[in-house]
Amino acid sequence: MIDNTSKEQNSIPTTKVERSAKFVKTGIKIGGNYIKHYSKKLFNPDMDKSELNEDNATDIYKSLSELKGSALKVAQMLSMDKNLLPQAYVDKFTQSQYNAPPLSGPLIVQTFKKYFGKTPDQIYDKFNIRSSNAASIGQVHQAELNGKKLAVKIQYPGVGDSISSDLKLIKPFAFRMLGMSEKELDIYMSEVEERLLEETDYELEVRRSIEFSEACVNLNNIVFPQYYPQLSSKRIITMDWLEGKHLREFLATNPSQESRDLIGQALWDFYNFQQHELRAVHADPHPGNFMITTDGKLGAIDFGCIKEMPDNFYYPFFALTSTNLFDDKEETIKAFRRLEMILPNDTPAQIEFYYTMFKHMITLFAKPYITDLFDFGETAFFDELFGFGEKVSKMPEFKQARGAKHFIYVNRTNFGLYNILHELKARVKTDTYKPHVEVVV
Amino acid sequence: MATTESIQKAYIDFVLTEGEQPKSVYVFAKKNKMAEEEFYRFFGSFDAIEQSVWTDLANKALIEIKEQEIWAQYSAREKALSFFYSFFELLKSSRSFAVYSIKKQPRTLSSPRVLDGLKDVFEAFAENILNEGIETAELSDRKFFSKRYKDALWIQFGFVLNFWINDNSAGFEKTDEAIEKGVNVTFDLFQRSPIDNLFEYGKFLAKNGGIKEKMGFGTF
Repeated sequence: MIDNTSKEQNSIPTTKVERSAKFVKTGIKIGGNYIKHYSKKLFNPDMDKSELNEDNATDIYKSLSELKGSALKVAQMLSMDKNLLPQAYVDKFTQSQYNAPPLSGPLIVQTFKKYFGKTPDQIYDKFNIRSSNAASIGQVHQAELNGKKLAVKIQYPGVGDSISSDLKLIKPFAFRMLGMSEKELDIYMSEVEERLLEETDYELEVRRSIEFSEACVNLNNIVFPQYYPQLSSKRIITMDWLEGKHLREFLATNPSQESRDLIGQALWDFYNFQQHELRAVHADPHPGNFMITTDGKLGAIDFGCIKEMPDNFYYPFFALTSTNLFDDKEETIKAFRRLEMILPNDTPAQIEFYYTMFKHMITLFAKPYITDLFDFGETAFFDELFGFGEKVSKMPEFKQARGAKHFIYVNRTNFGLYNILHELKARVKTDTYKPHVEVVV
Repeated sequence: MATTESIQKAYIDFVLTEGEQPKSVYVFAKKNKMAEEEFYRFFGSFDAIEQSVWTDLANKALIEIKEQEIWAQYSAREKALSFFYSFFELLKSSRSFAVYSIKKQPRTLSSPRVLDGLKDVFEAFAENILNEGIETAELSDRKFFSKRYKDALWIQFGFVLNFWINDNSAGFEKTDEAIEKGVNVTFDLFQRSPIDNLFEYGKFLAKNGGIKEKMGFGTF
């Protein structure tokens, strides 16, 4: 396992197709591992599963480390190398779920019977047993009740179980491969595990969806479906069916600059209102979680992944992006220390190095906030962002991870948002919901 | 007055409390305040009671799924899945008994004797849906093999049953996964697949000459 390290770095799959192919390959390999295990067990019933687990983890980890670089360029920026493992895992996890075959009709009936004691036919006036599309860890069905069109999301069985066991599986290998201490790695791993497990709790998702859609009700040009807690359970969510186009379909219709700006603005307001007013944010800005409704508004449909921002992260981080803190080097270093970007044991030379690099990074990241109007269609900004990310990912100084665990999801959120806005080529007023931080210098 | 159900119930209660079968029908009958001959009016032996519990569960599952509105729309594959899910859902209420009953069976290659009655019900059901599947061309009609499809399903059933006995996931979710994956794989094999095409290609080559000579059979 250890002597593979150099080999893995040589072949990084570059395109999206290649990346998914990679996961499929891993899946087949893991399937093979099970066959190997059971055929051995046929002759030796006492054999335990440790060899099987080793085989699986090796293959999962191999595919993860090969993905490094291409898939995660953007997230690398602030989250740095060490966070890549959990981040890669997040991506791998969602990917592999997208590849899951649809649930059979009888399993859907079984799930309803388990949670409601009734079949879907007895609950809804109409229920389409064939799913209309896949959600990240489940699938969506169309239904009708009292003349209302509904979307019913059903979770695949055993998802929660496999998250915890897969993360456990991967841990020992991560220690060896990344050369981190268990304590260091645990901080990041538990952050990811916590979010992933929350995503599997549909009861929590319904509660949050209602909370967030109520809190955001006054925002312009964004709509939320209504949720029905009495028709939802641990693995089932019932909500209104939103009519509209997905982002990609919307872009394919060649929308005017005006309508792209409108959607972009709604998205920007939605995220910045959450970050700065609610201090908790929909941390999965995946294009599939949004749609453009028939009357040209933005519809937000998935509140499975919410990241709450504690004060000890929020204040130092946004003080860096939105005040003139950078004018004072001492104060800046203090903020970096609070964000664990500069560590207690760093030498003066290291402090100087990380100070320069992080300052550059955050200045880049904060660029849209500096001017009141920002054109996300501008490729120069994104080229600079990607270029810098690329450079950082090759630096040995960033081999060890730095930064508070909160960066994993905050970065995912903000870079995800930037990416969607870039795809929209939207011009956005960036001063609508500003960070609540005092000018300290 | 004893009934089939009351004897089943008393017997299950006995074995689960004592961890073993009663010493004799006499002891069991006396404990339940009935004459030994009354027992024999319903069952010939203790094993017959166990068999009947399993068979009754299978019949109950069948009645339940056939009552569902959607049943008529299901393909053969979905009908099989539906039976598996309903059966294991019902079995949950008798889990202790099921575990006791299966675990005390000697480990052999053939299926346990207590499942004999259930096997008959299962096979009749399987044959029915498989024929339906072959008629609608959902499943591939293969010489010799299509007669064995029901055996493959029965093996799958035994596998899931064993899996369920050792399953300790909440709500037996893992068993749901095992059913979904296992039954689907089995039906994938029943469907027309590359193997059929390969077989047919072989037949074509054989009929159209060349292959025999090349393979060295030409001298016959």
